[in-house]
Amino acid sequence: MYKIMMFEGGVYKFNELKELIADIGGFVLQESVMQTETLMHLAFPEEEERVIRDKIKELGGKFKELPLAGTELMIVTPSMGKHHAVDPICDISEYLRRKGAITNMMGLARGVGKRIAQITVEEKLILEEFDAAIFVFGNLKECIEEKVRLCAEIDLPLVIAGGPPDLELAHYVGGMGRLTDRMRRKAEFDTLERMAAELELVINERRHELDEDPLAVSPLFLKELIEMVIPPVPGEELPIIIQLNGLRMNLTGDDIAQIREIPVGTKKLADICEIRPSLYKGFLLKIRSEAETGSVF
Amino acid sequence: MEVKVEGGDEFANESYALICQNIFRDLGVRTSIEDVYLFIEPREHVFILSVRIGRVASPVKVSDIIQLEPERIKILDERYAPKLLALLWDRYGDRAQQTGRMEIGLQLDEQEQAALNALVVYNPRDDLVTRLLDGMDRILPEGARVRYPLPSPQRITLIASENAISEAWKKRAEELIRSVSADV
Repeated sequence: MYKIMMFEGGVYKFNELKELIADIGGFVLQESVMQTETLMHLAFPEEEERVIRDKIKELGGKFKELPLAGTELMIVTPSMGKHHAVDPICDISEYLRRKGAITNMMGLARGVGKRIAQITVEEKLILEEFDAAIFVFGNLKECIEEKVRLCAEIDLPLVIAGGPPDLELAHYVGGMGRLTDRMRRKAEFDTLERMAAELELVINERRHELDEDPLAVSPLFLKELIEMVIPPVPGEELPIIIQLNGLRMNLTGDDIAQIREIPVGTKKLADICEIRPSLYKGFLLKIRSEAETGSVF
Repeated sequence: MEVKVEGGDEFANESYALICQNIFRDLGVRTSIEDVYLFIEPREHVFILSVRIGRVASPVKVSDIIQLEPERIKILDERYAPKLLALLWDRYGDRAQQTGRMEIGLQLDEQEQAALNALVVYNPRDDLVTRLLDGMDRILPEGARVRYPLPSPQRITLIASENAISEAWKKRAEELIRSVSADV
């Protein structure tokens, strides 16, 4: 399995780190060089972690674990009105991005209320395109206990966030329901940390499921292959987003036609993946399992 | 501003009291409110919010926010700059020109200066009810969109729910507001 970490350091010999990553079969997912500072998101085989840590130490840089890197998440609120946005969903989003995730936000069309709250089929299908979701509810216990039915029948790892400190719900995090200002106190940061930990738990459950039926290839490897054929445009943000079992590609239809023909080992990309337009943005590429496609290399 | 919340569990009451404090503070109406009463019934999804208006701040006069100089006016409080400019343009037309962020070019004789100083730029009472209703709308849950205003002297009271509001709840709200008003 690949581990993803963030390297933070100077420009001094950082190319050596990139070469080492390539040598051990890893990938540079994101790179940002700003004058004398370098930030890189690195993915490498777990067993090579010691080698990478030693190299980073040699270069005088810092590294940070990114437990949620390689995932795309959705933060769901009953609506995008003043009651639910900006606080606390923006704080949640920022905190999860600092943990490595790519985050999006969705306000349900008719999510307000208790009895009257609804979620549409299209909203559920959009949510199922992501790796996990966090539903952020309000401060009333009775309301949350009834509204969790919105989350039923969504085939996705979920975390429920709400105001009351403790509720008998699976993967529930209290202390973040209706807020009226930014979360900037220590206790609030602890709450955000608990939420990130809960999310990491549910995502790891999904990772273990994928390990039991491994994918034909890693999404990280496919991203590299696609970028060799369709290089990213300088200044363009995240044309390809990594998910647990695939990619989200913000590319044109012509580009998609081109990448279908990319050779991957003994097969073509179209043979080992399902590519379809996303209901949300771009195209989704879902990698089939090795059991289904046979060995690729 | 006193805030009393009852009806829900301990967490709900405390959190909504804080929400009331913060929202009215953000809207700048805290000093104009005597007390706030919120009754929550989460099972039936009924909320009764009542605000008693207290002492409202005095009107802000032009003399409070400007410094008159021979050929120009210096703005001392930028918050009222848009209202001041609108007033000046209305009264003097093109004679008033904003020459800088905190300066307005305008030449006035003594009589005109005296008349200008006495004018009211902003009367907090004019939009107080609008701001209070905005605050109440932010406090009440978004799903509680069925609203019934309850007439009561010196108070603005709203019953809110996601369901139709029954006569029983209207009566209950009247009793609650009467007892809260009597307590004060």
